[in-house]
Amino acid sequence: MNASLDALLQSAAIWRARGAFPDPAGLAARGIVRSGWPRLDACLPGGGWPLGTLVELLLPRAGIGELRLLLPALSRLVESPAPGRERRWLAWIAPPHAPYPPALAQGGIPPERLLLVATDKMPERLWAAEQTLRSGSCAAVLAWLDAVDDRWLRRLKLAAESGDALAVLFRSLGRRAEASPATLRLALEATPAGLDLWVLKSRGRGPARVRDALTA
Amino acid sequence: MTMRGASGSAKGLRRGRGATGDLFAAPAASPAGRAAKPRPAPAAPDPAAVPPARPALRQLWLALTFTTLPLLAATRGRGSTTGAPLVVVAGEGARRTVDAVNAAAARAGIRPGFGLNAAHALAPRLEVVEREPFEEARELRRLARWATSLTPWVSLEAPDQLLLEVQGSLRLFGGAPALLGRVGAELEAQGHAVALALAPTSRAATWLARAAPGTLIDSPATLAGHLARLPLGATAWPARTLEDCARLGLETLGELKRLPRDGLARRFEPFVLAELDEAFGLKPAPRRRYLVPERFHERAELPAELADVAELTPYCERLLERMGHFLRARTAGITRLTFLFAHRDQKPSCVVLGRAVPAAGVADWQGLLRERLMRVTLPAPVQTLTLRTGAAVPLPGTSAALPGFGSREAVAEAAALLDRLRARLGETAVSGVCLVPEHRPEAAWRAVRPEPVPLPGRTHTGIAALPRAPRPLWLLLAPEPLVVRDGQPCRDGRLMLESGPERIESGWWDGGDVARDYYIAVTRSGARLWIFRERGARRWFLHGVFG
Repeated sequence: MNASLDALLQSAAIWRARGAFPDPAGLAARGIVRSGWPRLDACLPGGGWPLGTLVELLLPRAGIGELRLLLPALSRLVESPAPGRERRWLAWIAPPHAPYPPALAQGGIPPERLLLVATDKMPERLWAAEQTLRSGSCAAVLAWLDAVDDRWLRRLKLAAESGDALAVLFRSLGRRAEASPATLRLALEATPAGLDLWVLKSRGRGPARVRDALTA
Repeated sequence: MTMRGASGSAKGLRRGRGATGDLFAAPAASPAGRAAKPRPAPAAPDPAAVPPARPALRQLWLALTFTTLPLLAATRGRGSTTGAPLVVVAGEGARRTVDAVNAAAARAGIRPGFGLNAAHALAPRLEVVEREPFEEARELRRLARWATSLTPWVSLEAPDQLLLEVQGSLRLFGGAPALLGRVGAELEAQGHAVALALAPTSRAATWLARAAPGTLIDSPATLAGHLARLPLGATAWPARTLEDCARLGLETLGELKRLPRDGLARRFEPFVLAELDEAFGLKPAPRRRYLVPERFHERAELPAELADVAELTPYCERLLERMGHFLRARTAGITRLTFLFAHRDQKPSCVVLGRAVPAAGVADWQGLLRERLMRVTLPAPVQTLTLRTGAAVPLPGTSAALPGFGSREAVAEAAALLDRLRARLGETAVSGVCLVPEHRPEAAWRAVRPEPVPLPGRTHTGIAALPRAPRPLWLLLAPEPLVVRDGQPCRDGRLMLESGPERIESGWWDGGDVARDYYIAVTRSGARLWIFRERGARRWFLHGVFG
């Protein structure tokens, strides 16, 4: 009984009114994927990364643990796909370095699922991100797009909403003050102990801080 | 060339017909009488030995005569030919004769078969072009490729005819009238005027298309009657044979057919009787089938040099359409095609389009072409345009999807995404990866061409052979040297070594040998780095970041 109640509460369509009001637009999110980090999940509406909408991660610089943060969710997307959507890609649009396949494989992501798109021109990056989001053949789209204007952000959000991919934008921390249509906005901060997260914007919740997010 | 001579005299025959019409019976009797002489028994074919009429499989042949082929071939790439009177001539010196005329020349009274001088007399400002037999043959082959979209059985009848066996296609196209309507419309769209005839034997169809266009005979019973009325000129036999017939007073096929067979066999060359039997369906007429080449390679003539991509696009699309006919005939698709733009005094430039899965549809390629042409800058005006494809491959079948491989729609969707990305960003910008069993970190993976469907042997490569020690999620393309202070590697201050060393020593066999001790280090700000010390030089390098 309790187990089935738990399962029901995991559904994206169910919003628990704990300290917040249910968002009617929340149904637009196509479900969630558990981030794999319990402290973070506790702070995210629905208990995981929202799918089919835009997630924005603001970084002081590349390589502070942003991939480790996403790795469990990516591997979950690959391991337990929806029926008929088994072979979908994890698209990487213009990453700052080469993601290292052996390390990803250690994290449970088969390398043949990776789709790397390398281009240094911003219009083409945006176009590629939009195309991958719209195509429906990507389980996740990770895009490194820093200087994006509001119009394009909205366009990307629309593209993300047309599918059910985990859509993550990586931008610099300097964009923190700029408005963004992203459904979920997190700022990352590296600390000697690990990684601190600031939930800047999330549906139905106020700002929050997650200390040492990458510990169990 | 002999054919043209033949048709010339055929016209002579037909013109003479009215005058000698009432003399039919008398001269016809004379060869018959001569044929009644004692015959050489062993050599003469015995009429009784001729096989009975019906071939086992019923066939229906559509013959197409391209009446404007010489004109089109000779004036190709000249733009409009409707304005001034224009004739296509062949032959040498004083014997140059008109082979084809355009509408303006026809209005001036010039007809094919006229001498060039007579033509000049009728139209003083006459434009004269030489006949282009090679161009005609090429165009005929192109038309044959087009015709393979209607039936698999197409045969070239040089110089200006095609034979199509259409019995099997009638149902698909909704009967003979619908099929003929389609043929007419599609040829008109390609700028060809056609005279066509339908008959149960191939020989009869070619003759009818030449002399009585528009004749449609679908049952063998009525064939003989139609054929009997045809003038002998329809056969396109050599002039000498036709003159012999005329000397015997023969004008129509029926008259010739009525003559005793043994006399015919003796008096004429063997092909006369053979072709006659073929036409009347007494003898099978094997045809050489036209085989479509493996690759599509065609050139489009431009009316002028074009410098603007937008002006060029329609010509590119026309070539794509022809490629579509070609592929449809083969039930095949291609994954790659090249447009070559020839420039004056300059190397040709090219546009290469590729797709992840074979595609035959014109629409599939048009989208990619537009996407690409938008970003093409031409180095110079384009003179001619060539489309060349890679080898045609059979289109993937429609079998059900295997579990775990995604549905067919999903695969098609994935392939379409790959195509779009590659068309705009270039082939090398989009890649997949695979693992390589190799100890050197930088060589432990490789970029590969991504596939919408995993190829056998590519899946889960080397999962078992993964290194036990942790690997960074970001690997720098080239190791970055680290500053060393007091013997300690530094980056944002001194680095704390967290774990290590992991010794990697490998690659002595290919010159890329490494001997390194790897450590995981933590910066002051908390970033975890993968660094190594070269064992020989004792220098420190940053190689990766644990993202």
